Amino acid sequence: MAESPYWNPRHETMPREDLEALQVRKLKHLVEWADANVPWHAKRLRDAGVTADSIGSLEDLRRIPYMTRDEWMAGQEENPPYGNVLAQPPERAIRYHMTSGTTGKTPIRVLDSMKDWEWISEMWCYGLWGFGVRPADIMFVAFGYATFIGFWGLHYAGEKMGCLVLPGGAVPTEARVRQIVDLGATVVASTPTYALRMAQEARSLGLDLAGSAVERLILSGEPAGSIPATKKLIEEQWGAKAGDTAGMTELGTIMVFECEEQPGGTHIIEDHYIEEVVDPETDRPVPYGEQGERVVTSFGRGFVPVIRYRTRDFVVRAPGTSCSCGRTFDIYEGGIRGRVDDMKLVRGTNVYPRAVEAIIREFPEVDEFQIHLFTEEGIRDEIEVLIEIPDASADADRVVRDLGKQLAEAHEGLRFGVRQVELETLPRFELKAKRVQDDRIVIGTEGEARQT
Amino acid sequence: MTTELNEAQRTLMDCYRNLALVLEKHGDQLAPFEERNAIKALGALWQIANGLDQDPGQVYELGA
Repeated sequence: MAESPYWNPRHETMPREDLEALQVRKLKHLVEWADANVPWHAKRLRDAGVTADSIGSLEDLRRIPYMTRDEWMAGQEENPPYGNVLAQPPERAIRYHMTSGTTGKTPIRVLDSMKDWEWISEMWCYGLWGFGVRPADIMFVAFGYATFIGFWGLHYAGEKMGCLVLPGGAVPTEARVRQIVDLGATVVASTPTYALRMAQEARSLGLDLAGSAVERLILSGEPAGSIPATKKLIEEQWGAKAGDTAGMTELGTIMVFECEEQPGGTHIIEDHYIEEVVDPETDRPVPYGEQGERVVTSFGRGFVPVIRYRTRDFVVRAPGTSCSCGRTFDIYEGGIRGRVDDMKLVRGTNVYPRAVEAIIREFPEVDEFQIHLFTEEGIRDEIEVLIEIPDASADADRVVRDLGKQLAEAHEGLRFGVRQVELETLPRFELKAKRVQDDRIVIGTEGEARQT
Repeated sequence: MTTELNEAQRTLMDCYRNLALVLEKHGDQLAPFEERNAIKALGALWQIANGLDQDPGQVYELGA
């Protein structure tokens, strides 16, 4: 096999002009396909006056209306179980998956054909190969194989690449950690939270993960994979490089990956997606270097065409040239920075869980944490951070004091309570962590709806 | 924009087209093991055609 740092050398190093021409051509095909096979899309395109023939540049994409999760779910309720987005009859599908449901909403249900399922693993191949995974690797997948799509695509990508894939489903954390060490895994895939959980388990078992064969961790499922302090902690505890990726059930796979150069962000797989970044309030495009909401158009999954989908993910885009790897694919600096819906308004101050985590992870004494919001005296929003400190010799008082001070300084002086709790009393997670507990009677002082 | 293919890539594209043709024209003559393995292979070869910018279209009607 030819050695190349790129899965698809031609596309990943393509001049931007050629890349955009490729995207325009693929967009025309996508619009033509959706128009002919999905009546729901056809009506929207017709109402906007968009036909495949009328698309001549990427600017024309903006003539197409946004697609939202609310519309998708409304379609499922109107036309259960799959809604109005399928381009083919369900009997042509070979896989069913759904969203994880961490938001508490009805899950989105999706279907894939044989070709689409191959494409899903193909996208993971970009990420795995780009982060240095090779056929000789032994890949442990720490994932509860079920209807949540999670690392399914990564598993098949590993097989496609010729790796020895160890499916680590439905076993306790202790067994997973022992298998990783005993079977000589060189690559481990998990959420950032679970990577820390496994490291904690290894310590309690007296296993030396940093001295194990593991060289790379493939992280996904949470923004924490690109929080520098969290990543540093994971890399130290595993003695391995950690690479971030991000995907969505709505796309079936990943759309961004961190390359081996670890530029502090994730490359967009731009030969298979068009990613726009817009102001979530005004819908206007935002330039490089400014935070906005991702809007994605996907070329690969014909069974469920996705055109201009509002992801609610916050990102900051930078040119591909800001990385030394040679790819021309643009980068999301700092990966996915959180979700528009994640923001909490506390006494007039915006609080983003990712920013809080970034500060907490600067305190290596803290093993697990939870952000707790509640209403005091029936009227006042309060926020506190509950922390576990396993090392009995650590100066817990100093951690509590300094953490509270740093959180306040980063949030316009907002008072954060910091409270040490008993060990093993906070929840642990294998998939997406839910570390925000919002028990407020009235949410926020403005802009947020009352929670019942 | 067209992609110039080398000999190896042209051969792979021939495989893709021939496989699609077999499924389209003779799918009903194939034994289950022939048909289903051909469909699986077509799904994989489609990735090559797509990665080489050959506009492979969709192959759902062929079972992939």
